[in-house]
Formats: sequence, C-alpha cells, structure tokens
Amino acid sequence: MFRLNLKIAWRNLWKNKGYTLINILGLSIGMASCILIFIFIRFQLSFDEGYKNADRIYRVVTDWKYTAFDDYSAGAPIPFTAAAKNEIAGIEKIGAIAKLDDIVHVKDNIGREILKSQEDLYFAEPDFFEVININWKYGKASEALKSPNSVMLSEAMAIKYFGSIQNAIGKSITVGTKTHLSVAGVFQDMPQNSSFPIKIVIAYQNLFNYYGNRDCWDCINSSLSSYVLLKKGLNKSDLDGAMARFNKKYYKDKKIEGNQVNRLQPLKEIHFDERYDNFADSTIAKGQIYGLAIIGLFLICTACINFINLNTAQAVNRSKEVGVRKVMGGKRKQLIIQFLTETIVLVLISLLIACIISELAIPAMQNLFKNQISFSLFGHPVIFLFMFLLVVFVGFLAGFYPAMIISGFNPALAIKNKVALNNNGLNLRKILVVVQFTITVILIIATIVIVNQMDYLQQKPLGFNSAAVVMVGMPGDKMSKDKRSIFKERVLKIPGVQLLSYCQSPPLSQDINSTNFTFNGTKNKDFEVRTCKADENYFKLFDLKIIAGKVFMKSDTANGYVVNETFLKKVGITKPEDALGKMINATGINIPVVGVVKDYNDKSLKEKISGLAISADRNQYWQAAIKLEGKQLLSSMNQIETLWNSTFPNNIYHADFVDDRIKGYYESEHIMGVLFKVFACVIIFISFIGLFGLISFVAMQRTREVAIRKVLGASTLQLVKMLNGSFLLMVFIANVVAWPMAYLFVSRWLSGFAYRIDISLWPFVLAMFISMLITLITVSFRSYKAANANTIDALKYE
Amino acid sequence: MIQLNNIEKYYANKGVKNYVLRLVTTTINQGEFVSIMGPSGAGKSTLLNIIGMLEEPTYGSYDFLGENVTSLNERKRIELYRNHIGFVFQAYHLIDEMTVYENIEAPLLYKKVGSSERASRIADLLDRFNIVAKKDLFPNQLSGGQQQLVGIARALAAQPSIILADEPTGNLQSAQAEEIMELFKKLNQEDGITIIQVTHSEKNAQYGNRILHIADGVVKEDVQVG
Repeated sequence: MFRLNLKIAWRNLWKNKGYTLINILGLSIGMASCILIFIFIRFQLSFDEGYKNADRIYRVVTDWKYTAFDDYSAGAPIPFTAAAKNEIAGIEKIGAIAKLDDIVHVKDNIGREILKSQEDLYFAEPDFFEVININWKYGKASEALKSPNSVMLSEAMAIKYFGSIQNAIGKSITVGTKTHLSVAGVFQDMPQNSSFPIKIVIAYQNLFNYYGNRDCWDCINSSLSSYVLLKKGLNKSDLDGAMARFNKKYYKDKKIEGNQVNRLQPLKEIHFDERYDNFADSTIAKGQIYGLAIIGLFLICTACINFINLNTAQAVNRSKEVGVRKVMGGKRKQLIIQFLTETIVLVLISLLIACIISELAIPAMQNLFKNQISFSLFGHPVIFLFMFLLVVFVGFLAGFYPAMIISGFNPALAIKNKVALNNNGLNLRKILVVVQFTITVILIIATIVIVNQMDYLQQKPLGFNSAAVVMVGMPGDKMSKDKRSIFKERVLKIPGVQLLSYCQSPPLSQDINSTNFTFNGTKNKDFEVRTCKADENYFKLFDLKIIAGKVFMKSDTANGYVVNETFLKKVGITKPEDALGKMINATGINIPVVGVVKDYNDKSLKEKISGLAISADRNQYWQAAIKLEGKQLLSSMNQIETLWNSTFPNNIYHADFVDDRIKGYYESEHIMGVLFKVFACVIIFISFIGLFGLISFVAMQRTREVAIRKVLGASTLQLVKMLNGSFLLMVFIANVVAWPMAYLFVSRWLSGFAYRIDISLWPFVLAMFISMLITLITVSFRSYKAANANTIDALKYE
Repeated sequence: MIQLNNIEKYYANKGVKNYVLRLVTTTINQGEFVSIMGPSGAGKSTLLNIIGMLEEPTYGSYDFLGENVTSLNERKRIELYRNHIGFVFQAYHLIDEMTVYENIEAPLLYKKVGSSERASRIADLLDRFNIVAKKDLFPNQLSGGQQQLVGIARALAAQPSIILADEPTGNLQSAQAEEIMELFKKLNQEDGITIIQVTHSEKNAQYGNRILHIADGVVKEDVQVG
C-alpha cells in the first residue's frame, strides 16, 4: 500500500509539473533559509557550553548607578579576587584573568629572531582553570602558572612557534622587550564558540609589569576579570547577602563614586548580555536571535501557505479520483494518508534541494561575518534532528489541511466533478494570501528603512574631515617614544604626506576614556567628561573648527583644555567666550580652558555627542594620524610602512584608514541590512510564485465564466480587470495590516540610534507600490492568457 | 441577414484533413426561425459556432448584416455580441456566483446601459418569464427549466436581433422543453427575432419555419415548415 502510494504520488507530481515546480521552488528556498538560520542560531546558542559545573560558574562584573546614567563593566577590581576568596563563604574557587596585547618574539636555538607577532595575552591565576576547565595536552595549570615567567600555549600556537607540541616544552618566548617566559604547558585549542579565545596564558604575577596599582578598588578595566565557582548546591541568590555585605564594606563605606557594586553574572549569559564586554569581543542579544528565528518561521510559513493554497486549489481537479476511490471502498483515513504521502515526497525533494542551496550559500554567509566563523551544514549532528522536524512540521502544516479538504468530498458529486470549494465570503485561502503578503510588506518596509538609515549614517556630516587620514599604531615603550620626533620629521618628508598628529584616537572612536572632574572649583555630579589626548596639530589635520579661544600651545603635558559645545551646554555656559580661562580639574591639577571647538560626532551615530575635553599628553599618544594626498595614497603608505619598520624594528606595523574604522562601528547594522535584503528578496520571490500559482488556478477555475462573459460582450481588458481585482484587493488589505506592524518594528529599531532618519510615509507607500505592481504584473500575465483563451473549448458540454 | 458561402471547416491531423463542414452555402433572412438537425457529429454545433463567430471557418466567406465577418477583430466581434447576438446554451451556462437578477444584468453592464434603463428592462424580462419571485436566487437553487428561462432572458436582455441556441432543451424534461419552444416561437413571431437552433428532436424543429438537415458536414436538405 505504501509503495503504491509513493508511486501514485510520484506520478501525480510529475503530471502537474508546473505546480510541482512552484511548490518545490518555494519550499526549498524557504527551507534553505531556515536551515541557514538554524545553523547560525545553533552556533550562537552553543557558546560556552560543556564546561564541567557550568551552572555554578559565574563572572564577577561591576555596575554603577550615577544620577544621570548607569554604567556596566565586565571587569572587577584587582584586589577583589583575593578579598572575595577570604570573605565570601559560598565561593569554592575564584580565579582572576586579565587580557592585554603585546608583541611576542620567538627566537631559534642560536638566538636569532624567527618570528614576531602581535598577540592577545592572558594573565591567569592557576585557580582560574579550576573554575573553567580546559583540556591539557601537556602540563597542568595548577603547576604551570604557579611561578612567574611561565607561559602556556594552545596547540595551534605551540605548532606555530615551535613546529610541534614536544618541541615547545621548556622553550622560551619574549613578550614586549624584556619579559622572557618559558613554556610550561600546552592545552587544546579553544573552540570558535567560546567566550575565552585563549591562546597564550601567562602567570598572573607578570601582569604587574603592565599594571602598577594593585590595590585600587575603583580602577575597573573590562580586561581585568574574575571568575567564580560556587560551592556545590549553591546558586547566585544564596550569595546575595554575602555580596551585599562585601559591596557595603569595600565601596559604600569607602565612599567610592557612582554606587559601585560587584555582581555575579552566570557563565551562560556572557555571550548574550550586550551591556558587558567579553574576551571574544562577541555578544549577541537574545532578542536578535529570537528575531532571526521569527524571520525563519515567517519564511517557512509563507512557503507552506503557497503549498496549502495551490493544493486546495488543485483539489477540484482530483475530485474525480477521490470519488472513484471512495466508491471503491477507500476510507477517508487512507485518502488522507495518500495525500500526506504526496506532500512528504515533495517536502523531501525540497529538503534535498534546500541542502544544496544551503551548502552553496554557506560561503556567502561566512563572508558576511568576515570569515571569522566557519559554518558547515552537517557540522553538528543536531542538524539532522532539525531537518527531520522541519520535514514533519512542513509536511503536516502544508499537507494536512488540503488532505482533509480533498478527502472530505462527497463521492457522488466528486465523480461528476461537481464539487465546489467555498468561494464566497472570507475563505481560508484569501486569509492566507493576506497573511503572506502582510509578512512580505513588513519585510519590504523594514528593508527600505534599514537601507536608508545605513545610507544616512554614511552620509551624515560628522563635523570633521577624515578623508585620506591613516591611523598608524605607535609603540608605547620609552625608547620608542623618544624616537617619535625623528619619525615625524622623516614621515613629513615623504611625498604625499601633508600632516602628522600624535594622538590617542581619531575624533570618532569607541575607545572611550572618561573621568569625573571639578569645574571652576565645584565638583560635577551629572556626567563624566570624555578626555581625549592629542597634540596641537590634531585640529588642523581633522579640520576641527575652533569657535572661541585658540588651540593649546605645543607641550608634552596638558597645559590647556579645548572643550566642545556639548561640554559647555552640560555645565551651563551659553556663550563660548565665557568658558575661556575657567579651570577644569580632572587629573588632580587645575588646567584652564583655552579654546572651544565646534561639536563633532565623537561616538558612533547610535549615541549622542559627549562632553569632551582635548588636551596634550605625550605619554598617552598611542597612534599617529597621518593626512595623505589622495593621489599617491599607495606609494606614500608603502614608504611610511618601510620607514616605520626601520624606526621601530622590535614592533609590528599596524595602520588603517579612519573611514574604514568608522564603518566598522556599524558592522552589525551592515550585516542586518544585508540579511534583510536577502530575506526580503526570498520572501518576495516565494510570495509571488505562490500568487502566480494561485491566479493560474483561479483563471482555470473561472474559464467557463470567462467564456460566458465573453459571449455576453466582455472585452479582454474587462476580463483581466475582473480576474485581477480580488488579488489587488488582497494585497491592498495586506498592506493596510502590515503598516502599523512595520511602523512599530521600524521605530523600535531606529530608536537605537541617536541620529536617525525620520520615519516618513514614503517607505510605506513605496512598499505598497512595489507589492501592488509586482502583483499586477504576475497576475495580469496569467489572466490575460485566460481572457484570451479559446471560448468554445470552455463552453462545450460537460 | 446571414450569408454563408462555401464554408468549410476541417482539422488537419498528420496531413489528413478531417472535414467537419464541407461547402456549406446558405442564406438566413431576418425573422426566420431555423432549426439545424442531423445525427451526432454531423457538424451542427460547428456550424452554429461559426455563425456565432465562436469559431472561424477554414475556408469560405461569411457576411453578417451585409458585412464580411469571416475573420473579425476582437473589438468588432464584441460589438456584435453586445448589440446583435444572444446565445442560449444546452447547459444554460449561468454564472454560479451571481443571482438570477445579476445574471440577466451582466450583458447590460457590458453594453453600458444606464442603471434606470437596466432596472426597467430586467423587471420587464422577469415579469414576462414569470420569474420575478426568483430574482434573488442563485442558479443552483433553480430547476433546469427555470435556469434555461433565465438563460433566455439573459440572451434577450441586450435586445439582440438574432438568438443562437445550441440544443436549448437538451437537458430538459419534455414539459419544460415545450414551454421553452413555445417561448421561442412567440419571440420569433411577436418580436421578429431571428432564431437559429440546433436540435435533435423532430418535434422541436416543427416550432420553426425552416429546417436544415446536415449529415457528414454537408447540407442534405433545406425544407420550409408550416
């Protein structure tokens, strides 16, 4: 019986090639999108899985509540770890880990340098690895990290530096200029889906070569963090009391600013809480994941709707078969099974094609994420479960309703081909088409708005000129600093170089240093001033406009501040001239305001301009901004690189354009834009092939009516209008339903940007225009054919 | 009114011509009531379809109201449908989704007849055929004879000069069939409407005043009745 069902299913699909093709095309594209979304979501949700005692592992984070804003950091104060170990009872293990980057030098046996590279270095206490368990290939953290000047490498790093794991043991590497470390352990490479992309781990004691202040409770840096394993059977709430007492003792009683507190954050939330940084620099809000899942669901639903519509529509053609089968004694259940078999066959064919499409789309998807993540279709066995569920879900969602309808025909009527599907009132098919197009229109509107906002971000004048400005990293050690003036002198001689300024960061940057301050003797409590260190050439190089006073004098240390208009607004000064000469104390000494700079965007356009004070400080320049002439960009860049490498032979050259860096701040929005464009196209495609199928059916069903009307004197145009009318109406209703939903979504998304386009009517109107136009074209194509068909064929006796 | 000259219709299949009509030549004048008779497959319906411009002859010429209509463009053909020709079908071919009233109204809408004029003509037809009470019913709520009455009412709504009827009583019981034929006769004699019908029944053919006997695509006999 089952084999027979399969055979008949196959013949039927083959007989209706056109509809089968539409169904398979829609379903396979929908399923492929779902599979890709699933692969991505599974990857994201699998972050930090599989650690021993995962549910008892927490990260210590720091929160502040200022009067005007809240602030969050993934870091904990350096003394926290030791204090907590002694004072908080529920902690089984606690270990600190810190991250910073420096240059690693590797020498061969005879002392020649064979490799140098800029690497992320992790400084960890042995106990950290009692909290977070990793697999050791050689050595043990508890031994290896006990003594200073020891280092452990990941397998990949050991092979990169020394050729093999065995070779690496006992060898030494140099970090920075003078820290020599010997390799005491090798561990298995961390997976991609880890918030701990650890490659080089150094004994914690060595951290203090970089950080001097070990006892500062209000120096929080998100790179200095601490991880906790709770005692068995305890969870976070059991420690609430102890944490509160601890916070009171160290912060409140010591009158530390901003109501600072430490808090425990579960390991599982690290990847999903965007307020806090992490070592992997990768967080994704759960909301985004759910959003993607919903889009996937939308896509598969539109594909299923196509299927349901086409199949119930086609049902009439098969009524004779149903009637005959029933008369022969077929039970309704058997008929349902037969029709479901057909659906499942179709879904399985679609799944195969979907796999091929997914496989082809994966490189493009990796490309979207800059090849930092490698995805593979069958990378994890759970995909098979997903595919199975997908087939069952789609099979039943798409197949069950048509099967019920078809199998329910009255046999006597069915044999005479006289079954009528309910054509009056609000039938299910019309509702489904409206739902389908509502989804389509929402996606079209969202895509238009997202694309517009991205264009706006790229075109909005930022208040400074960063064209052809390259930022070159500068080594921070004392010797290198002394070479800077020579370097500058030589760079300026390179043809095509116009200006050079040493500074901390370009005008728009997300590397933010902010501090509290007193202004003219009164302590400010409302906001922290963002400080920016740069030499006097910075203003000319970036074309920043001074509107009052002047730029500070050339100096190695701060001798005057240039503040921006927002700063003045925030401290309550209306006339820029009034600010000149007022004293700011942010560093322990009073320094006068010497100039006021016109506001420019100092953060990504998601945020407002901050109150800003620029001053000189030779010790905090990390980069050189070099303004080039557009024409000889490449040759100038090459010469700068050569000069840099010869001037600072121990270091690694790194340069990028300011404009590229700014673009990088909108990476996630860019990805979102691309995704929406792709999904909008997919959904438009699916919806419209469905529409084409449906109008084909309707035209066929109404052939007789069309013929009658023709002999009554209807013109082709009138007939096309008649056939099109209901479809245009459905799409119009879909637009009306979609508008408020799209508005809600779009306005919520835009509210994430401080600088954004106004939501105008035209994306909505455009979406309506697009959807109506494509509908009109799709539908007219088929209805014209129907209206022009041979009248006599339709009027022959039945 | 209708002038057919050497009308031929054949279907070429792999080089073999299958003739449906051969060298049909005849004239039908205004006010005639013609019955086309003959065995199944003789070509009766094809002839009627050619007269109704639903099919084109392969060969020969056809003049309608003095105008050559052998191959007519769509716009002109629609003009003729709207103003001169009414069709009545064996299977009634009413539009299932429309009420009796709306079915009769349809040709008037295409003819762009004003709404008050429409209402009065439909009221007139409903009254004449005694179907006023049924005007809001759908076709599937009517008996076959009633459906055919509506079909004829619809054909008459546009006030055509000729009615083409393809086995108008083929699906009806004899009592209903008689009623329909009486109606045709009355329309022909009182209103002067030209009627051409295809029929199997000798009895029905007697209602008219001329019979064309067709066999194997050829007009065998052309007799005047009554």
